[in-house]
Amino acid sequence: MTRLLSHLTQEVIVFLLAATLFLAAAIFLPGFMFKDGAFQAGNLIAMVRAVSVLGILAVGMGIVIIGRGIDLSAVAVMAMSVAWYLQMLNSGVPGWQALGWALAGVVAVGLINGFMVAYADVPAIFVTLASSYFVYGFVRSQLIVSDATPAPAGSWILELPNLGLVTSTHIPIDVYAFGAAVFVGFLFLRFTKWGRYIYLMGDNFMAARNMGVPVRPMTVLYYVISALMAFVAGILTTSSIQSMNVRVVNSNMLYDVILVCVIGGIGLSGGKGYMRNVVVGALLIGIMGNAMTIMDFTNVEQNLIKSIILLTAIIIDGLLNPRDEQTAQQGDI
Amino acid sequence: MRLKQTLAAIGLAALGTVTLHAAQAQEAQDDPGPAAYAAALKGKRVVLVPMAMGFDLAQGWNAFLKREVEAWGGVYDSRDPNWVTDAGTQALTDLVNSEPKPNVLVVHSPDLQSYSKVLKKAHKEGIYVVLIDNPMNFPADAYVGSDWDRLGQLEAEAAVKGCANSPKKEIGLVQGDAANATSILQYNGIKKVLAKYPDFKIVAEPFSNWDQTQSRTVTATMLQQHPDICAIIDFWDGDAVGAAAAIKEAGKKDQVKLVTTGGGAASACKALEDGTYYAIVMTDVVGESRDLNAIIKYLLQSGQPAGTSKTYIYTLEKATTKEDLRPGLCWSVEDLQAGKF
Amino acid sequence: MTLRERLLRLRYNHIPDHLIGEILTKRWTDNAIPFVALVITIAIFGTLIPGFFKPAALSDSTRQLGEFSIIVTGLTIVILGGGIDLSVGSNYAMSAFAAVITFFVWEQPLWVAFIAALGVGLTFGCINGYLIGYMRLRAFLTTLVTLIIGRAVFDILVIKYSTQVQQSQMASDVLDFIADETVYGVSVAVIIAVVIAAVAHVAMTRSRPGWHILSVGGSRRSAHNAGIRVRRTVFLTYVISGLCCGLTGFLVACRLSGAGPGTGAYLEIWALTAAVVGGNSLGGGRGSIVKGVMGAIIVLVTMNGLVRIGTGTGANQMALGLMLAVAVTLDIRWLKNRHKVLDEVYVTPVHHRMDDAPSALPGSGTPYALNNAISRTEYIGLEELEGPEDVILDRDDHLYCGTRHGEIIRFFAPDYKKSEVFAHTGGFPLGLAFDQAGNLLSCVGAMGLYSISPDRQVTRLSAETRRTWTSVVDDARLRDPNDCDVAPDGRIFFTDSTTRYDAHEWALDSIEARPTGRLLCYDPKTGKTTTVLEKLRYANGVCMAHDGQSLFLAESWACSVHRYWFDGPKAGTLEVVIKDMPGYPDNINRASDGTYWMAWLGMRTPSFDLALRHPGMRKRMTRNLPMDDWLFPNINTGGVVKFDETGKILGTLGDLTGISHPMVTSMREHKGWLYIGGILNNRIGRYKIPDADPNWTAPVAYWGEKP
Repeated sequence: MTRLLSHLTQEVIVFLLAATLFLAAAIFLPGFMFKDGAFQAGNLIAMVRAVSVLGILAVGMGIVIIGRGIDLSAVAVMAMSVAWYLQMLNSGVPGWQALGWALAGVVAVGLINGFMVAYADVPAIFVTLASSYFVYGFVRSQLIVSDATPAPAGSWILELPNLGLVTSTHIPIDVYAFGAAVFVGFLFLRFTKWGRYIYLMGDNFMAARNMGVPVRPMTVLYYVISALMAFVAGILTTSSIQSMNVRVVNSNMLYDVILVCVIGGIGLSGGKGYMRNVVVGALLIGIMGNAMTIMDFTNVEQNLIKSIILLTAIIIDGLLNPRDEQTAQQGDI
Repeated sequence: MRLKQTLAAIGLAALGTVTLHAAQAQEAQDDPGPAAYAAALKGKRVVLVPMAMGFDLAQGWNAFLKREVEAWGGVYDSRDPNWVTDAGTQALTDLVNSEPKPNVLVVHSPDLQSYSKVLKKAHKEGIYVVLIDNPMNFPADAYVGSDWDRLGQLEAEAAVKGCANSPKKEIGLVQGDAANATSILQYNGIKKVLAKYPDFKIVAEPFSNWDQTQSRTVTATMLQQHPDICAIIDFWDGDAVGAAAAIKEAGKKDQVKLVTTGGGAASACKALEDGTYYAIVMTDVVGESRDLNAIIKYLLQSGQPAGTSKTYIYTLEKATTKEDLRPGLCWSVEDLQAGKF
Repeated sequence: MTLRERLLRLRYNHIPDHLIGEILTKRWTDNAIPFVALVITIAIFGTLIPGFFKPAALSDSTRQLGEFSIIVTGLTIVILGGGIDLSVGSNYAMSAFAAVITFFVWEQPLWVAFIAALGVGLTFGCINGYLIGYMRLRAFLTTLVTLIIGRAVFDILVIKYSTQVQQSQMASDVLDFIADETVYGVSVAVIIAVVIAAVAHVAMTRSRPGWHILSVGGSRRSAHNAGIRVRRTVFLTYVISGLCCGLTGFLVACRLSGAGPGTGAYLEIWALTAAVVGGNSLGGGRGSIVKGVMGAIIVLVTMNGLVRIGTGTGANQMALGLMLAVAVTLDIRWLKNRHKVLDEVYVTPVHHRMDDAPSALPGSGTPYALNNAISRTEYIGLEELEGPEDVILDRDDHLYCGTRHGEIIRFFAPDYKKSEVFAHTGGFPLGLAFDQAGNLLSCVGAMGLYSISPDRQVTRLSAETRRTWTSVVDDARLRDPNDCDVAPDGRIFFTDSTTRYDAHEWALDSIEARPTGRLLCYDPKTGKTTTVLEKLRYANGVCMAHDGQSLFLAESWACSVHRYWFDGPKAGTLEVVIKDMPGYPDNINRASDGTYWMAWLGMRTPSFDLALRHPGMRKRMTRNLPMDDWLFPNINTGGVVKFDETGKILGTLGDLTGISHPMVTSMREHKGWLYIGGILNNRIGRYKIPDADPNWTAPVAYWGEKP
């Protein structure tokens, strides 16, 4: 029994929770999975879709966290880069040129984040907090004119949803994109040497450095990856609602991204976690969000319930896998 | 020495009498209005503190007021708390304590409560407080803006009209949040109207938290749950684009009529035209701003102490549908700034 | 001296560039970057905003600043303890709500509302503290979750009760006073914030719990191993933060007479930014309350200032982001590189010129000519001792010496084969002396003057003297107490060799050659220590003259011996007895024939003498060369010199082989034998003095026969 309990990591707990919730919702909540006795895939697809943008951000964030960093600028990069891109399109900058500028901006933010963390030795949490402020402030005050920037008619972004509809399954493009992001992330972490470097760095940064892992360029690399993921997420958001509202930067979304990673079982101290954790975390958030929306819960109540579940998960994890004073790493928060 | 001073005083007095006579002679020919108007308004300071500057209504008020106030010789300024209530409170505190003090504060409150204390202080300092568009539990000198209850009723009426041909009379709501007066009052208004139509039923009423992504998600879920919904009322066109996207993706653009409310910026007319919105209850920003300007001018001239007026000026609202569209119905900030209205 | 040398002297001896290094050693220079940022911020907004400094505007606008500072103070304590508390935003909102509902809805007195607010803050703090401190959950994640939970509960409650609060008729003069009034132009919130910051500062820097918090933040594992209750300490930091939030919640409830859904939103980010802009390092251990408060002012002044000058939407975030990045980067670079800068600039040599010394070469015919007399001594404690700087014998002929390990070893008479640890001092015992009562006095390196009673009780007599107010380094502290001796009336005269270096850095002091050594006097009657002489170049040995009214004092890097009268008709006069010796003098002790023994710890070399006249060269040497390549005083050869009261050199004892006593730091004559110690030696040497009084002992010479 105790051996069984000791296998109950946070990841497993969350997975069991998700499964239980899913079953409970499927059985007791009309319209979640069955409508009038008939199986109904639509709601499940909608559910996955609702978290796919979050999930894509979480793929980037997950890679950063595994490498022992954190990227608080992800949501700002997502909103601001796309808003700027749309603004350029609206004011008549040619499409490719605008995309080039926007991508250059995104990569620049990633580079700056990485450079500051890796070469200037500033803690990631501050670097990315600062760049989040700066990116939001700079774009909002200098480059765009109002909170919401609509996508221009006929833009390729607006055509994106149709790609999903082409296939017979009617699964929206967001879901494919999330799946693709997870798959690419999986390949990257699992089969490339850079992926292994990231695990080494997250596990023991000094040891990785001593054995010759190029820790500084690698740090820069994963911040750039995270920024690019954010841009993709932003494009997808825009494709479905046809505009980008930068108020999202001030919302709880960033916390949700971190929640997806952590609730799925990616340890904040780095070195632990896989892409499947992102999927599990995103699904749990999705199931809960969907079920609670069906029950007309307010946002506030949803936040309350989600966070209480997360708290329970980390408390159980803390009880089952207590940390030890002797082995805890200094500076972890 | 003494003599010199006395002489000078007498001289000055004489000069004064002469000029006074001259002025009176002039006035006899002129209307006394403009002079009194100018005297009361010249150099008066008006400051707009909206919840944020980044959305259409605030930009509309700002552009209109700036033009008007500067035209009648006042000094216009604005503050942008950018959706942060604490920053708004502090901006107001600073304004109340600043030198020179503003004469009129135009406040767009984030909730019923937070600004009360500091606005009370403004009254104490003799500053007029005009609330715009969002009501508060505070006896301001004037409230200019929507009657949100009435607005909800208009939305419901439009939705009922939109559902006329549908077999099932199911309506979904996408509320804002549970804290904001505009959201609560709209809800009450909708309920009132639907009470009159017993065959109509509200099947879902989730919250969007004024966020378009959230609006899309909850609408998508709602449509899954209740495929036969005939109308959705989203409480703000700032997030209704999300609901619209969900409807479109579900392929129910023709079946589901989307009703919302907003400031009537150009994008709203476009959405009506392409059928994204079935109806939009527009706040007539130009009219509202004109009311605002008028009440400011009235307050400044009335001479009554701050905090005694308690005037309500509700903007005329009307549910606009595709049929009502005409050129010039919607406005854009560029047009306002260019003085087209 | 040539003109060039005079100019060099002017440049290196009179321009106080050593102060740069001394200032850099101060811990408060950690605050330099945030302080400069603070001044710049206030200067910018002070000029941009008309009436910024007007008292009326300032007193009211600073209410929010006061509240914010309290929160940042609490958060800073958590950060110093190695944690982070994101829940401050919702904790503060909940506390405010508790105060509001208690007062306005339940219509309780204001003090109950105050307790309610503190209670909610405390509860939140305890929950966070329990989860993070005792259950060892991760601080960032846990407080993020409690933040969201608190926020959600607050939002639900505030909506439910907002109308009731509005319709309440409750009023209170105290509430209005807190919300609106000022005391001497300062608002209540600011007063409380200042008091709390001051208390927290003192607690963190000068109290046991504060040190515990800092050590837990600095190294959790070491703190745990050192026996600090890590879990309780961490718990405590969150409780403090919770209480700060509770207090602030009460203040804001008074200021707004209510709480709205937006109360405290984003506060956690602002507070975190403030703590960091101030320069507190995340992960703990380094930082201060003052830094947090400075950060709070910078952040809030910037945020409000930008809203006030009406810059475009987002401009304030842009400024804040830039500020955060620049401040943190500078601060981190500064902390990282400060010690490097310090190493670069601390050693600031001065020009020092000594006249040519008579030769000490064997056979040169001068009185200083060294011989090989002590190359063959009887060894005591060979291979057992490390660093007997001074040696001394008591009335029963037992031999005492200090060791590098912080012990005083006693060798038993008559053969000195057996030994025991007589006492443990904890520091390196240097100079030794017996007082009348038979207490062994010792200058313990880097610690102070200690007394060890015959029954081995160790007592600290003195660890500080009066602070010179013009001195930048803390010269009250004894950094390098070196040798001591006792006057007939019981006053203890002892030397503190340098105020700029610790004992083990004596070589740097020799290269710098700056006169900072002192002669101090400890008076057992008053227990006070006074500074008698200053500006000595490495004040070293001190020995009572036979007259009991004066003492001899060795100034090592000046190669001279002084005589100082502290009593009698010549009291207060200082005379040079010997100068320009060929060796560097160390301890001085009495000889049986009414003269004195003096140890040479090393010999002057022409090259180093020349270097002393070229401070620029030595400066470049310390900056550009690794320490191995530096030019040091030669300490491989020393010796013992005998001189009389007039300063006449009577003879020398040397060890030219360098086997037994290459350097000598001390020697004692006892019953016809000379006992020789050296700080770098591994033995004590015993040398039979020809023609010495075989019955003479120092205790009798000092204090007479046993009563």
